[in-house]
Amino acid sequence: MNKKTLASLVGAVLGAAVLTAPAHAQNVKVGLLGGITGPIAAMAPSMLDASRLAFNQVNEQGGILNGGRLEVVVGDSACNPQNATDAATKAVNIDRVIATVGPHCSGAVLAATNSVAVPAGVLVVTPSGTSPEITRINDRDLVFRTVPSDDYQGRALARTLKARGITKVAVAYLNNDYGKGLAESFKAEFEAGGGTIAGYSGHEDGKASYRSDLAQLARGGADTLVIFDYGDGTGLTILRQALENNFFKTFIGADGMKSEAVIRSLGAANLTNFFASAPVGEASASLDAFRTAFSAAGGNPDAIFTTTSYDAAFLVALAIEKAGGDRSKLAEALRAVASAPGEPILPGEWAKAKKLIAEGKDIDYKGAAGDHEFDRAGDVPGQYAFFKVSGNTYEAVGEMK
Amino acid sequence: MDIVGLANYAVFMAILIGIYALLALGLNIQWGFSGLFNAGIAGFFAIGAYTSAIITSIPAAHRLGGFELPLLLGWAGAMVVAAAIAWPIGKICLRFRADYLAIATIGIAEIIRLVIRTEGWLTGGVRGITGVPRPFGDLPYMQSQIAYLAIVIVLVLLAYLLVERQLKAPWGRMMRAIRDNENAAAAMGKQIAARRLQAFVFGSALMGLAGALFVHFNRSITPEAIDPMIATFLIWIMLILGGSGNNRGAILGAAVIWIIWSVSELLTDRLPTELAIQAKYVRVFIIGLTLQLVLRFRPEGILPERQPVPPPRT
Repeated sequence: MNKKTLASLVGAVLGAAVLTAPAHAQNVKVGLLGGITGPIAAMAPSMLDASRLAFNQVNEQGGILNGGRLEVVVGDSACNPQNATDAATKAVNIDRVIATVGPHCSGAVLAATNSVAVPAGVLVVTPSGTSPEITRINDRDLVFRTVPSDDYQGRALARTLKARGITKVAVAYLNNDYGKGLAESFKAEFEAGGGTIAGYSGHEDGKASYRSDLAQLARGGADTLVIFDYGDGTGLTILRQALENNFFKTFIGADGMKSEAVIRSLGAANLTNFFASAPVGEASASLDAFRTAFSAAGGNPDAIFTTTSYDAAFLVALAIEKAGGDRSKLAEALRAVASAPGEPILPGEWAKAKKLIAEGKDIDYKGAAGDHEFDRAGDVPGQYAFFKVSGNTYEAVGEMK
Repeated sequence: MDIVGLANYAVFMAILIGIYALLALGLNIQWGFSGLFNAGIAGFFAIGAYTSAIITSIPAAHRLGGFELPLLLGWAGAMVVAAAIAWPIGKICLRFRADYLAIATIGIAEIIRLVIRTEGWLTGGVRGITGVPRPFGDLPYMQSQIAYLAIVIVLVLLAYLLVERQLKAPWGRMMRAIRDNENAAAAMGKQIAARRLQAFVFGSALMGLAGALFVHFNRSITPEAIDPMIATFLIWIMLILGGSGNNRGAILGAAVIWIIWSVSELLTDRLPTELAIQAKYVRVFIIGLTLQLVLRFRPEGILPERQPVPPPRT
């Protein structure tokens, strides 16, 4: 590259800087912090696109407040605390955003909220931070999430088993954050409800035989084995070996185990006593609305965390509208627009929501990923159903409370 | 953009630069003055961060600690534990020369990272540690940041002065001698192995202190912070760019690299959103390019090592 092209490039950048920085008094700036570089770089673009779809819909359908535009400031939180705090500081202080969607990863959320967003009084809604630690942030009611904590599924599963009359189980979990997180919350809730954990052990990935682990677990005398693992990985091996050796009668898995690979490999006939919990949001009108809009915008609605990313962005926009742009009222407004009672608002219905808010009516956003009734910590309970094997696929046999 | 916002951002940047400057100073003792290629900075950074977090945080059921001890104890603990872990590592690994030592330390840092990830009873595992106190954390946003900056500045200054003093002393000259010609130094009766171990432990303790400052600033730590990209290689680039063998260079390098890293995003954010998102990948490239340019055109760094003036002959 010679000096001339370099100079013209610099000129173009500066020119663009001048052109794209018009100052409208009514415009509202919102931060969008994502793991653009780093370990989730492959997932982040779809998540950012989903959030930006929500902001674009707002701008197309009458804008925010008095016809202002929502300006998006994208920051790279890179999935680590160093970059997350840097991106959040810039968004909060330089761009003066009043709320952020993201950061994406739990560690980034913890650092950015603790050291920047909460002290500065900026609302944070994360679409993908699932760590239970986020619940415990001393957040002055400023930190919310549209994705359920890992805690919920384990606890919901424990309650469901109790309701079905199972009081004694053994637990085998994969020793990583997914398996361990689920197992811990399951154990706590199951024992609190008077259940007995007759065996509890973690296993490492990819071994050829888990018979000795299973024999150890079976020694506790439980009929039911709860497996927190992946059905297309180690979980399948464990399930097969437990069936072959008749260690247990009933098998329960979480969403990782609800894999078609299990049915293909073991056959539905052998899986009459196999059940799995998994999140549901499927077949709701909200999800359809999101899928149509996101596909039309060129996105892939099946990509992970796109629904929660969209909901986080749309909720932030609704909250800003409801609060009249006043940052001190944002958290309260967010709870108001997300919770029942109120007129239901589906994804993309910005004009309708704006009109209702202007009339002073209460609204209730029904998101693509769920209803988003925030609890006191700003968490959403996930919606899960209990599945059994039916033919070559899974069939829901009941909701989980 | 306004003055208060800019000031807040500048203070934040200065805090991170201070933390990185401590890491660079620690590395300067090891590489700049003793020629030890430590590619496991992230590991000692993590040890410091977790030690101080465990000592000072509020209790939690699922991991060790939450002893709620005073902050100074946490910081001292971070340095002591980082040094204590560096000692056996150095004892074994320092027998390796240059590139072998680099490979060994990369391995060590990875082991430390995996231990932190999997030993939940000790470190909270993948959930990390939260509830770490921040000094003056209850003040309003800006005051709290400024107070923390003051602490960081005092510690960096203290570390700088002490390291500088140590290097002007005979110890510093001896380390240079060992670095530049090991055989000659050995022939002069210097205990090479013991001296190199000292430098390794001393530098690691400073890295531990940097980790402690980082964890209290963020009030939390998760294994994601031990990313070698941001906690090892970035610091190498800082030291090389600033000038290895020069403590002021180490601090300057930390400032320059972090400012390039952080401020370049501000510039690219003025572009239309689509381009701005793509430009974020370029930041990583810019850092690499900077290193290439420095190595090509100014391998001694911005502030090269000052050769000590020999005493006048009498």
